[in-house]
Amino acid sequence: MKLAAALAAAAVFAVLPLLTSSNYVIGIGISALVFTTAAAALNLVYGFTGLLSFAQLGFWGIGGYAAALTVVGLGGSFWSGVVLAGVICGTIALVVGYPMLRTNRHAFVIATLTFALLATLIARDWVSLTRGPLGIPDLPAPEAFGRRFDTPRQFYWIAWAFAMAAIAFLFALCSSRIGRTLVAIKQNEPLVRAQGISPMPYKLAAFALSAAITGAAGGVYCFNLRIIDPTFLDFYYMQTFLIIVIIGGAGSFWGVIGAGIALSALPEALRFSEDLRMIIYGVILVVAMFVMPSGVAGWLRERRLARMREALR
Amino acid sequence: MTIDAVYILQLTLNGLALGLLYALIAVGLSLIFGVMEIINFAHGELLMLGAYAMTFALPVVGLLYWPALAAAILLVMLAGLLVYEILLARLRPDEFERSILITLGLSIILIHTVQYFFTATPRIVDTQYGFDGVEIGNIRITLTRLIGAAAALVAFAGLYSTLRFTQFGRAMRAIAQNREAALMVGIRPRVVARNAMVLAAGLCGLGGAALAPIQLVTPYMGQFLIFKAFALVTIGGLGNIPGAVVAAVVLGLLESVIGGFFASAWQEGSVFVVMIVALLLRPEGLFKRGGMRVG
Repeated sequence: MKLAAALAAAAVFAVLPLLTSSNYVIGIGISALVFTTAAAALNLVYGFTGLLSFAQLGFWGIGGYAAALTVVGLGGSFWSGVVLAGVICGTIALVVGYPMLRTNRHAFVIATLTFALLATLIARDWVSLTRGPLGIPDLPAPEAFGRRFDTPRQFYWIAWAFAMAAIAFLFALCSSRIGRTLVAIKQNEPLVRAQGISPMPYKLAAFALSAAITGAAGGVYCFNLRIIDPTFLDFYYMQTFLIIVIIGGAGSFWGVIGAGIALSALPEALRFSEDLRMIIYGVILVVAMFVMPSGVAGWLRERRLARMREALR
Repeated sequence: MTIDAVYILQLTLNGLALGLLYALIAVGLSLIFGVMEIINFAHGELLMLGAYAMTFALPVVGLLYWPALAAAILLVMLAGLLVYEILLARLRPDEFERSILITLGLSIILIHTVQYFFTATPRIVDTQYGFDGVEIGNIRITLTRLIGAAAALVAFAGLYSTLRFTQFGRAMRAIAQNREAALMVGIRPRVVARNAMVLAAGLCGLGGAALAPIQLVTPYMGQFLIFKAFALVTIGGLGNIPGAVVAAVVLGLLESVIGGFFASAWQEGSVFVVMIVALLLRPEGLFKRGGMRVG
């Protein structure tokens, strides 16, 4: 049922460029696809494994820079850039994730946050690598089979294919035995240990896979913007991913996907006032935490449980 | 590069002043964590509010430093009280992620509200002391910097004696060490948590107000400091107040010295590199946590 709805939504997204001629709508569509993918990756670490990771922002930026520099600096193609972005982010996540995951969950949050800020500082200050605040403009359009994906309309297909592949992979992972182990770690880690399962490799794998997908998503997105500079690591992106996960319901796979699609349109709807936009974002976050702490999906689940209890009475 | 004694001394003094400022923020964070198990993301914004309060209070009182400082501290304490009563009092002790996200939302709201009303243009703050300074040999320190450092030291002494010698402070330490046992002897966690929040906000207000004449005041000034303060409290061990102070002062010195000899990227990055290494060696923080230790 859910899967059928998801496939229908995927089909609608696939034909979106045929339904509209507006590049504006196509642009929002690209953002929706990429942000939803990044939010689904955050959901893997936060929603399923219970590790609130702010490092996603760092991986998003590192992925963007890795992809851009592969093309501009090493002369590689867009495709190798995105793959390399994923590989680099996954490797970094394995290296920094190990010391971070050994700490308790309080320190983990802070450590991931400082990692994200370190990435921002490097993007700004390591001028010989990242070209500093000026950034790397004029990223070339991707090419494949002698075709150039030059316009937003053509780029949309790349974003679509990427999002579908990543979300399908995450779905397969989350609904597998590994996904259930991750949920178990979130719910009761001592019990998982008592069952003879070492939580560390699972946590580390979830962190690294999520980093790889976020990095690749950053790589795709910077080629949509056609420029990368330190504002690519703006905390705004992290807030967007977080709000999608929280409103959708952390730990609910389809809830987060639905929220990603719905909420990617929200910044556009709020664009009438650039200044008030972020205030409204903050208010949404605070109010959501009080009214629906487990998101729309959690709220629906509670309502269903309440109805079942009512029926049993 | 020749090593110049005067240059080194100047760097050391700057580093100490910087470290004491970091410590003001880090101590407040540690106190809040110790008592409530909450990491306050809006802490830097309390600092920013203190700086703005100083900015607007100074012209009103005719550029007099001390009355404006007092007004700023009181205002930020009031803000801390409101934040606690409206938002944090509703949280249960085990809702760690929720507390982070709520204070994160609050931080976004505060930054952008201030930006909306006062614009993002950096402000320069003038006091009765202007750019007067004290000269020790070839070294010159501006008076505002010196007063800021001295005020921080006085605040630490005050905090130490409060936590050590008053019932008010003992209750906070009791809650931090063992919540259930504290409840059993009749300490009310809600009241203590409120006191801790107001106290931490006051320290933050002092930090912001003392910082206002030293550097430019912008809505984003708190954000950068807070992230460093997070790293510091992690290095010092969450909830460990002396650990946070030591980490802050050492890191302030380290940053200043590195900034004097290497590129600025290394200066900013040093805190984070030290944190990753410290976590690798001692996952619980360099100074092991055993409740909130004072002395």
